[in-house]
Amino acid sequence: MANQVVSHPARRQFALSGLALGAAAIASRGALAQQPNAAPAGPARASGPIVLHGVSPRLTVHALDTFHGAAATGLRIDFSRLEGGSYKLLRSTVMNANGRSDDPLLVGESYQAGDYELLLHVDDYFAGRKAVLPVPPFLTKLPVRIRVANVAERIHLPIQFGPWSYTYSRGS
Amino acid sequence: MTGISTHVLDITNGRPLAGLQVELYDMATHPPTRLNNTRTNADGRTDAPVLAAKDARTGHFELRFHVGDRFKAADGLSDVVPVRFSIFDAAQHYHVPMLCAPWFFSMYRGS
Repeated sequence: MANQVVSHPARRQFALSGLALGAAAIASRGALAQQPNAAPAGPARASGPIVLHGVSPRLTVHALDTFHGAAATGLRIDFSRLEGGSYKLLRSTVMNANGRSDDPLLVGESYQAGDYELLLHVDDYFAGRKAVLPVPPFLTKLPVRIRVANVAERIHLPIQFGPWSYTYSRGS
Repeated sequence: MTGISTHVLDITNGRPLAGLQVELYDMATHPPTRLNNTRTNADGRTDAPVLAAKDARTGHFELRFHVGDRFKAADGLSDVVPVRFSIFDAAQHYHVPMLCAPWFFSMYRGS
C-alpha cells in the first residue's frame, strides 16, 4: 500500500513514449539559440496528465514554467526539513520530462509531519533556457515552505513560476 | 517612488488581509538582517512602505508573511511564507503583492 503504483500500465507506456518526444523537443531547442528570448512556438508536452487519486499518503511536486508554457524539465529543487531551527537538506532532485520528481519527495515511512522547504533554482533554470533577464534576476533561489500536518492525507504541490511571479497551492 | 511595498489579499473572501505580520529581511548578510517588522492595515497594505524610498538599493531581500497566525487552519499549507527576490535597479519601485488562501499562495512583481 505504501508504494502503490501510480499509473496504469497503458498510461505508463504513454508516458515513456512521451519521454522520447521530450528528448526530441530538447534536441530541437538548439534552433532557439539565435533568438535567446523567444519562447518555444508550442509548449513542450512530454505526456498527458498523471492522476494521483487514491494513492497512498505522500508528498509530490509538479513544477510548471509559465514563461515557456511547459513542464519545468531540468529545474533543480533542494528539498529540506526544518530541524532545530534550520532547514536540513534531505535530497536534491531535478524535474523530469513531465516537470515532476521521478519519485515522491516523501512517501511511506518518510512521509512525516513537519515543516519542509523546496528551494527552486529558478535562476539557473532560466539561464539554462537562455531567457534574457536582469542581473540579478527578480527571482533567484525561490523557497517554498510548506507544512505537513496530517500524514493520513497526501499532499500534491503544483508550483507555477515565471521570471516575475509564482504560485503554489495544494493540488490533487 | 522607489523602495518596496506590498499588498495582501485573501482570495477566500475577496478582501484585504488586515493585521498580517510582514517582515523584510536583507538576505545578503548571514544570518539575514531584519530591516522591518510591520503589519498590514485595513486595506491589506502597510501604512509606510516596507522599504522606504530613501533606503532603496540593489540587493537580495525577503518578505515574510506570517499567514499561519491569521488563517489558523489546522491543515494550512504554509505557516510563514517567504518571498525572496532581488532588486537589480534601485531607481525602480518594487511592489510585491500576495494573493492567498490557507492552501494557495501567489506572488508577483506588481506596479
